[in-house]
Amino acid sequence: MDGIIEIITKFAAQEPAIFALIIGLIGAAVISGVVNVGAMLVIWGERKVLSDFCNRFGPNRVGGRWGILQLGADAIKLFTKEDIIPGDADKGVYVWAPIVASMATMLVAAAIPFGALHIGGRNIPLVVANMDISAFYVEAALSLMAIAVFMAGYSSNNKYSILGAFRGIARMIAYEVPMGVCVISVAVMAHSLNLVEIVESQTVWYAFAQPLGFAIFVIALITDLGRIPFDQSEAEEEIISGYNTEYSGIRWGLLYFQEYNNALLGSILLVLLFLGGWHGPIIPIPILDIISPLIWLFMKVVIVLWFFIWVRSSLFRLRIDQVTDFGWKWMLPLSLLNLGWAVLIGSYFA
Amino acid sequence: MGISDVIPVPVAIDEEIEKWTIFGQPVAEVWFTTTEKIHQIIEMGPIKNIFNWGRKNSVYFLMQPMGCCGVEMFVFGAAPYDSDRFGCIPRNTPRQTDVMIISGYLTRKYLPVFKNLWEQMPEPKWCIAIGECAISGGPFYDSYNIIQNTGDYFPIDVFIPGCPPRPEQFLEGLMNLQEKIKQRKDIRDY
Amino acid sequence: MTTASEVLSSIQSAFPGAVIDSRVESDLRLWATIDSKKILDVCKHLSSKHSFDHYSGSAGVDWIARNEMEVVEIMASHGTHKVVAMLKVKTPRENPSVKSLTGLYWNASWYEREIWEMLGINFEGHPELYPLLLSDGLIGAWPWRKDFKGYPDLTTGERAVEITTPDGYTEYRFPPTPAEVEAGTVVVERPKYPTFQEREEMAITSDSEMIMHLGPQHAMVPGPFLLDVLVEGERVKKAFLDLGYIHKGIEKIMENRSWLQGITYTDRMCYVAALSNNECYCGAIENILGLEVPQRAQYIRVIVEELSRIQSHLIGTGEFLTLIAGVGFAPWQYMIMDREKIISLIESVTGARLTHSFVRFGGVRNDLPEGFAEQCKKVLPYMKSRTEEFIELFAQDPIYHARMENIGSISPETGKRMGCSGPVLRATGVAYDMRKEDPILVYPDLDFKVITGTRGDSADRIDVRLREILESIHIIEQCLDRIPSGPIKPEAKVPKKLPAGEAYYRVEDPRGEMGMYVISDGGANPYRVKVRGPFYATFQTLTPLLEGTYIADAVAIAGSMDGCPSESDR
Repeated sequence: MDGIIEIITKFAAQEPAIFALIIGLIGAAVISGVVNVGAMLVIWGERKVLSDFCNRFGPNRVGGRWGILQLGADAIKLFTKEDIIPGDADKGVYVWAPIVASMATMLVAAAIPFGALHIGGRNIPLVVANMDISAFYVEAALSLMAIAVFMAGYSSNNKYSILGAFRGIARMIAYEVPMGVCVISVAVMAHSLNLVEIVESQTVWYAFAQPLGFAIFVIALITDLGRIPFDQSEAEEEIISGYNTEYSGIRWGLLYFQEYNNALLGSILLVLLFLGGWHGPIIPIPILDIISPLIWLFMKVVIVLWFFIWVRSSLFRLRIDQVTDFGWKWMLPLSLLNLGWAVLIGSYFA
Repeated sequence: MGISDVIPVPVAIDEEIEKWTIFGQPVAEVWFTTTEKIHQIIEMGPIKNIFNWGRKNSVYFLMQPMGCCGVEMFVFGAAPYDSDRFGCIPRNTPRQTDVMIISGYLTRKYLPVFKNLWEQMPEPKWCIAIGECAISGGPFYDSYNIIQNTGDYFPIDVFIPGCPPRPEQFLEGLMNLQEKIKQRKDIRDY
Repeated sequence: MTTASEVLSSIQSAFPGAVIDSRVESDLRLWATIDSKKILDVCKHLSSKHSFDHYSGSAGVDWIARNEMEVVEIMASHGTHKVVAMLKVKTPRENPSVKSLTGLYWNASWYEREIWEMLGINFEGHPELYPLLLSDGLIGAWPWRKDFKGYPDLTTGERAVEITTPDGYTEYRFPPTPAEVEAGTVVVERPKYPTFQEREEMAITSDSEMIMHLGPQHAMVPGPFLLDVLVEGERVKKAFLDLGYIHKGIEKIMENRSWLQGITYTDRMCYVAALSNNECYCGAIENILGLEVPQRAQYIRVIVEELSRIQSHLIGTGEFLTLIAGVGFAPWQYMIMDREKIISLIESVTGARLTHSFVRFGGVRNDLPEGFAEQCKKVLPYMKSRTEEFIELFAQDPIYHARMENIGSISPETGKRMGCSGPVLRATGVAYDMRKEDPILVYPDLDFKVITGTRGDSADRIDVRLREILESIHIIEQCLDRIPSGPIKPEAKVPKKLPAGEAYYRVEDPRGEMGMYVISDGGANPYRVKVRGPFYATFQTLTPLLEGTYIADAVAIAGSMDGCPSESDR
């Protein structure tokens, strides 16, 4: 064991660039694995929880009575489906849209802390790229999905798709601004834009310190994720399937999958910014005390995701003009108000 | 105008590829034989079963109510009968569906549209005819506007008789279709 | 109170010689043959002097033996009085032509288009005499004429030969000439009209507009119909409707079936309201026969029809909810769940979930099962509390109000002018209900309110439907208390051949006013059955309503109409 560590440290000292690359690659592999498996669980959970809200059972035929393998079956089917590219589609853009969507989520995943380990009385964050402005970076990278949506909608040469794409862009512009302002308000109180430092500075959860900002951020996040009541870019009952109407097989699978990837990452961001991240009482049991921050984060994320599904099953969809109206006329002024509040509170406590 | 118009793809690339060789044989031919081999291996071994298992347990159907059976289809997909238990959920775009349910009378005006929808669905795909009207014209056998045998136009896998069949029969038809998918020997449909 | 004979004498005094033939069936029914030159004036007179402001529809009849055709205009009033005037206009069979009423009644348009394409009767002064239901291959074949040879010919049993026309349509020709059979193709001289696509493409004026199809396959449609919207961005500038995607030709088929077999076809006309269709057909035939329905049978009919109304409103509202909230929305699933309870009640009586064929001439098929009243007493209070919950849910949801309030509003005047009926018209505030207008069955003895709305918008239409469920529950509870014992069928056997005669019978379908005009020529089959479907009438109002709305609202408005294309196409 000691020998291996010695070799590694030696190698790191001699070839720092290559060492950093290897570490990065390992991190990327781990993170993409974690995110993708997580997203699969999110899809499965959504189907089950939504079924529960709707008084149904949901998938229960494959993988035991909980239907855990349902997603596997879906994935195998989509992988082996015929790959159709419409004749009049803009082929380059059409093919790249799902890939851009996956890249967008991976960009987010690179900078978001997935939790922390409690070793030796302090929390060691689990993050691949711990950058100084990670809060802002993550928020910006989350909205890259809108680019993929637009690429998909624009290139499909389909009337429903192009409408969905326009709706997606209009919504994104209207809600990205208040969301950014909310992130700034948090940063003002935390004196940092680094997500790890934001979490560490939360002696009081920012959801309690700035409830208005929390509410705005939740609404903007749901909009960003394109979930009901803000799923106008997909709006199955109006424009068939929106931007992905022409997508079939694994390309559609990827686009669909990235939405849930984003949902997972978005709810982690929400927890980190407002709900105290991995803070929580340390469980005084060996081994469990090391991963107890992870457990707390996981539980909070599950609750947030459950809340999103609850919203989906109980709210009506808004019209796109109402969405943009609400964004510009209410969300933006209120988020600015919240920024002022955050400055006041922040300077008082400072 | 698309991006591929702005950045022109070299036209000669296809001709170039044709000239390439590997192990003394044209690349295209090698590619062809290799994929053929892969297919043979898949069809022989357990991978086929895995593919069929996936397809069987994830049957998305096209939401298209056409008659009395359409109402029962609505109920079949909703809470009381819950087709989601079998991994069978409705989709609105034919591009993302695996099974087309002919849920009622097919008229001469609708046939071209319906055929178009069928052709938009990606392979492998299946077709279920529900109700007497879809199977043989049913009570409208002598109508001037109804297509008598939808089987002439669509390769129907499962017939579910009834006027209209109960949602339980829908479920049984779905399970029969799943059995049919599971038994499939030839997985090459794309 | 205006009676039929008063109306008749008023016409006779205003236009001497205009009434060729007349018959006053009762206080509420007037049958008159009007001189074809005077029909427009007579209608104007009726609508201005006697407030016949409700154009209920028209029927075309081919009297091949008399070598003439007949157009029957059905006129009624929106609550001022209860007389229904059936005005017949005769025209020769060669080049048949009558005057169009579209100038007087806005909603006459579709009825006249239908008669034109099915029977070939030309309407002078109709602005757009285009095909409505038939596919291009059948235009000019006049399928509802008595000499139309369908597939197969029922009189001789010979089957038609399948032939492909040059435009690629498959046609059944009977009888084909030997040359046609040999060539496998036939050139049919058919009138050419601009197709639906060509007509709508004419509406595009600038590059920023496009036409979007909502249908025939779309999440919005409860059955295939084509709703095309001309959009500029998200704004709908114009809407087009194309019907006939499930046109089955029921009216023609029923002419080839026995009287009893006809009941099964009424089931399949509107499958979520099959019982009121049964009732309408059987009621018309009882009128021809002069049959008295036993009291117990009347009560049973009312019970099952009101149960059917409840389940129809539930599934209609449920479908509407998916349109504005997505399929993940939980309450619509609850509605379908609750509907199953009602369906099982109906099933215990009629034996079928959707297509019952339960109502028979002069009675019902079978008695209520044992323990039915107890089952009802269990389910109905539950249903009542659930419906109150749903009403509260919509009343309190701010997003629902933002989405649906003042969307697709119809004013009472417009609603009357456009010939709406049922919850769509009642939502505007007009208390117009066939159960009050035409006192059929035991409805006059029962205590119930006619539910009306105030704004006539989409939210009101849903609200009216939900509150009607409560009224229906109230009606059923009364019936269960009062139902007498006794026979459920007439004592004498109903003859296979009906006496010659005609009748028009109206019932309140869940979607509105359903009327059937049945003609018997003394044979074993109906000579003509004309269905005045409620949704056919409401459907017409959709296109003007959608102009200027958003796409999302267009979908919601169409959903709030509670459509049943199968019944409007027939």
